[in-house]
Amino acid sequence: MNFYDYFKDKFYQFILTFICYAIILIIFFAFKIDIGIIISTFFILINLFIVSILIDYFRKKKFYDTLLKNIDKLDKSYLVLETISKPNFYEGELLYQALYDINKSMSENVKTIYQQSKEFKEYIELWIHEIKIPLSTLNLINNSHNYDRRIKIQLKRINDYVEQVLYYSRSENASKDYLIRSVDLSTIIRNVGLKSIDDLLENKMNFIVDKVKIKVLTDSKWLEFILEQIINNSIKYKKDNVDSYIKIEVNDEKNKTILTILDNGIGIKESDLKQVMNKSFTGENGRGKSKSTGMGLYIVKNMCEKLSHKIEIESKENEYTKVIITFFKNNYYDVLN
Amino acid sequence: MKKIMIVEDDKIMCDELAKLLSNNNFDPIILHDFSNSLNEILKCLPDLILLDINIPFMNGEMLLKELRKKSNIPVIMLTSSNSEIDEALSISFGADDYISKPFNSNILLLRIGAILRRMEVPVNLITYKDLRINLTKCTLNNNGIEIELTKNEMIVFRYLLNHKNKIVTRDELMTDLWNNNEFINDNALTVNISRLRSKLKSINCNGYIKTRKGMGYILS
Repeated sequence: MNFYDYFKDKFYQFILTFICYAIILIIFFAFKIDIGIIISTFFILINLFIVSILIDYFRKKKFYDTLLKNIDKLDKSYLVLETISKPNFYEGELLYQALYDINKSMSENVKTIYQQSKEFKEYIELWIHEIKIPLSTLNLINNSHNYDRRIKIQLKRINDYVEQVLYYSRSENASKDYLIRSVDLSTIIRNVGLKSIDDLLENKMNFIVDKVKIKVLTDSKWLEFILEQIINNSIKYKKDNVDSYIKIEVNDEKNKTILTILDNGIGIKESDLKQVMNKSFTGENGRGKSKSTGMGLYIVKNMCEKLSHKIEIESKENEYTKVIITFFKNNYYDVLN
Repeated sequence: MKKIMIVEDDKIMCDELAKLLSNNNFDPIILHDFSNSLNEILKCLPDLILLDINIPFMNGEMLLKELRKKSNIPVIMLTSSNSEIDEALSISFGADDYISKPFNSNILLLRIGAILRRMEVPVNLITYKDLRINLTKCTLNNNGIEIELTKNEMIVFRYLLNHKNKIVTRDELMTDLWNNNEFINDNALTVNISRLRSKLKSINCNGYIKTRKGMGYILS
């Protein structure tokens, strides 16, 4: 709050006061009152006016300045009312009350929506568990009567989409649905390989894996999902008529472990590369080859953020795509164990 | 025959699991009375239990916790919940393995086999006909003539041996290899099998591994 703007706002009050003073002055002159009395009267009047303006200004300034400053400083500015005390002037009280009521109704509204989204998430989780029972039964039936690889692959596709919904809902929500443990990367890679074995063999993709036993801090289920998405992409965007491969390398460094997934697929156009992890982004590849939802990598990015792994994609069109996931080591965890 | 108890409330799933197990030379028992599940389990004393988490009356994790107070029958959790927290909890309650639905039936069988083998006294030397197989040294010995097998050949041979006189599909062999971190492709499997055959031939065991066209291989 600065004085100039305050003054501008109060301009009509000044005008009225001065008109009033002028009238009094004319009356004083008309009655031929002694000049000494006029001067002393006006001295008192003008001083009183200035003092009253200043008192009003500073009282308001204190309240509004704290309000504005706190709004600026808080990252959740809707909590500002908690940081200021109730003002002692009428307009301020009105404003305070109004803000309070607005806040209350908004929090109630947000709470309803939060509750709804939470219930929906719980329902989705439950539904996914339910849908997996018939899915696994179908898998078993297919296995024991007239095994058909095509059916198996389609069942896996259904399961992949279902999992995607599950992890989307888990990664979008504020609640903590993961558990960081020290897990063996080779076990995770083995599980991912076993899950995608039919797809990989059907598409004649060579799966080349570094044989190292390295442990990283992560949630194994989440990481398995992340790797599956990346491998599914490699299979989906493989180059025709060449010997395709997916190469997984693990490099252990002092403060971090680096997992690289390299394929010799169709690659990603340079202009698309920055956006591939955006929500609903389907680049040239997504539109060209098979239909893509543009969700896979977005979910992967979100999950990596939550697990605090760094994920980067490098690619050259028609040559390769390389996904690099960096796991950071935490000494604190070693101490705990 | 090993008795395997299925604790699962979905009827069709139970039946299919039972069919899968009995097709693979196990004796499946289905638990019907969930209200008294712990006593039922202790009464039939199975060699292994497949346990679901979402079951009526007492949830699977609690049941496992109670079971562990009385017995150390191996337990594989077979559940549709795919979360690290459930897995960590189950393992801490004493589960031996955790498989989430939907699962690959070959993998389920491999894991069951692995756990049952772990429960037995470890054997390094197996004999099959005149053949003496050393699992730790990866060697085959037929009347004094010894040959070495590579890791992949050994995995393939061991799988055939564990399922002797039964047709083994390429899918099963492949799954077992991948389960042992050997991510080979179709051609490599063909090469491994033909090498294994020629090695067997070199120690006068010609024709042990037969091809059943369109189905797989059989050791007989």
